[in-house]
Amino acid sequence: METLLIELLKSLVSGLLMGMVFALVALGLTIIFGVMDIVNFAHGEFLMFGMYTTLLVSPLMGVDPLLSLPVCGVVGAALGMVCYFGVVRFLLRGPMVAQLLGTFGLMLALRNLALLFMGSEPRLVKSGVLVGRSLVLGPGVVLESTKLAAAVLSIVSFVFVWWLIRRTKTGMALTATSLDKEGARYMGISTERMNALAWALGGASVAIAGGLLVNFWPVEPNVGLLFTMIAFATVALGGFGSIQGAFAAGILIGMIVYIPPVWDAATSFAGVDAPTIHGFKYTFVYLIYFLIMVLRPQGLFGWKQ
Amino acid sequence: MEAVKNALDFSDFPRLDLTVAGLVLAFLLVFPALPHSGFAMATMIQFLMFSLYGMGWNTIGGYAGQVDLGKAQYNGIGAYTTAVMMVRWDAPFWVSMPVGLLFSIMWSFIIGYPLFRLKGHYFAIATIATSLVLKDVFESWDFVGAARGLAIPIRANLPDFLYLQFRHDYYYYYILLALFLLGILYLNAFRHSRLGYQLRAIKDNEDVAKSLGIDAHWCKIKAYAVATAYVSVVGSFHACYNFNIEPEDVMSLDLSVLIAMMALLGGAGSLWGPIIGAAILVPLKSYLGDWLGAESGLTGLNLVIYGVIIMVIAGAQPRGVWGMVEAVRARRRGGHAAA
Repeated sequence: METLLIELLKSLVSGLLMGMVFALVALGLTIIFGVMDIVNFAHGEFLMFGMYTTLLVSPLMGVDPLLSLPVCGVVGAALGMVCYFGVVRFLLRGPMVAQLLGTFGLMLALRNLALLFMGSEPRLVKSGVLVGRSLVLGPGVVLESTKLAAAVLSIVSFVFVWWLIRRTKTGMALTATSLDKEGARYMGISTERMNALAWALGGASVAIAGGLLVNFWPVEPNVGLLFTMIAFATVALGGFGSIQGAFAAGILIGMIVYIPPVWDAATSFAGVDAPTIHGFKYTFVYLIYFLIMVLRPQGLFGWKQ
Repeated sequence: MEAVKNALDFSDFPRLDLTVAGLVLAFLLVFPALPHSGFAMATMIQFLMFSLYGMGWNTIGGYAGQVDLGKAQYNGIGAYTTAVMMVRWDAPFWVSMPVGLLFSIMWSFIIGYPLFRLKGHYFAIATIATSLVLKDVFESWDFVGAARGLAIPIRANLPDFLYLQFRHDYYYYYILLALFLLGILYLNAFRHSRLGYQLRAIKDNEDVAKSLGIDAHWCKIKAYAVATAYVSVVGSFHACYNFNIEPEDVMSLDLSVLIAMMALLGGAGSLWGPIIGAAILVPLKSYLGDWLGAESGLTGLNLVIYGVIIMVIAGAQPRGVWGMVEAVRARRRGGHAAA
């Protein structure tokens, strides 16, 4: 019984921590979607660029990986702007199909640029104040410091972006554009500038998430797709365009990912000869995504459909 | 009878189209007799396969205007049914292919029913999700070989027409070419069928179509099943052609998107569009991969270029090559009328 409880507790805490990072990953997608109704397939690739940034910058500048986060933010924002002005702006004129394919082409290009320059072997940050340390909460419940820090900093970033959007003038202009593009334009808010801002903000937040993630999740050029799908699922669950929704749904998705290990522990404890399902960790995420889309397309907190 | 007549009726195309189509067909028929490299042959087979995928996609994505990015799952169902039946029960291709087709169509009805309650990008992403779920299932399902995939045992006596195993690629080529021609004929009948007209009405304006008494939901599900059939048959063929299948090969997201892209690049919603798209993208992809592949030390550059090309097409000409042709024709007709 005790082992089962510990497993449950461990999964609960891990799910919570992971969920906060997922929320930050999804934040960028939901901002971009909310402002301009475009689905960005290259989202996971932005994350991957953030991961590589931390990996390369922290030894180069001789600082701890966690201190390289501002650089990630800048790189992400720049990448978002370049993608917007270089590609996405032209896709907006076409039908929805053009946007789907265009951002898919962007994903292919970014992913393979990484492959070209970084090679295909998975890499992980190896040194740093927090790497390898852990916090013991109780017998068997061990928290890796890197995950804890990632979760805390993720919340900090999240709150910062939330403040930026809800409490500053620029942020309100952004909200106005996502609510009613035409109306906002009559008020003198340039849609073009708001779109660019959404991409910069989205790129920065997801790149920071990448910088946090690389402390405990190895990076390779193909890492993006999984996170793109997780971000889609998170955004769908929380409601397309909703910021609070993304946060709640991120944590929920983090928990869902840990259902299979708990289930396996429970069946082995109960002595039931059930097949193990830990291989289906992310299948559950896709399934939830599908069900949410079909049953409640506006998500849990969505206002846009 | 009506359907057969429609399938053979190409009279609504301009003479130029038919002449070009005839020349291409003649080339396709004699291609194996011309001097060619093995690589060119493999590329031609890929071209025929992707034309068929694209034609299938065109029914749902082109005529009905529903962007489906989950076609790879049906390729997987077809390929796995054939492979599993060959490995475990020694069933010939001509038995396993219809069984796979049946499974695919059944699955398409099961997920098509909820899927078509969605529209636009919600639909598109949901199709991706279903495809990924199925891929995950196949990757951990031991009965079908999990992530290792399945290898089809090679028969003793080649060529074997029952199991589609040949020593030379041109056997595969001609079988595929026959499927390709059948595919075109079916699509030609489909264009003139009741369903074809209903779908175009739905694409133009779904609300008006509904008000005319068209059951849009059911029409889309039917078109989805037609698209599925094409992909599933090619999937079964793919299993025999490759001998070796893995989930990553036969049901990846990249394949799904590639299928959609071929059709869109050529021009969705037209009979020739997917074929033109495949004729451009397949050689481009395989020759870029050949020139800039592993040996040159520039792994990834080919796909960077490929991605950039996709972006440029999506940004510059979302209606595809056929859209350009039609724009030119419309202009010329307009000029004629003025003169």
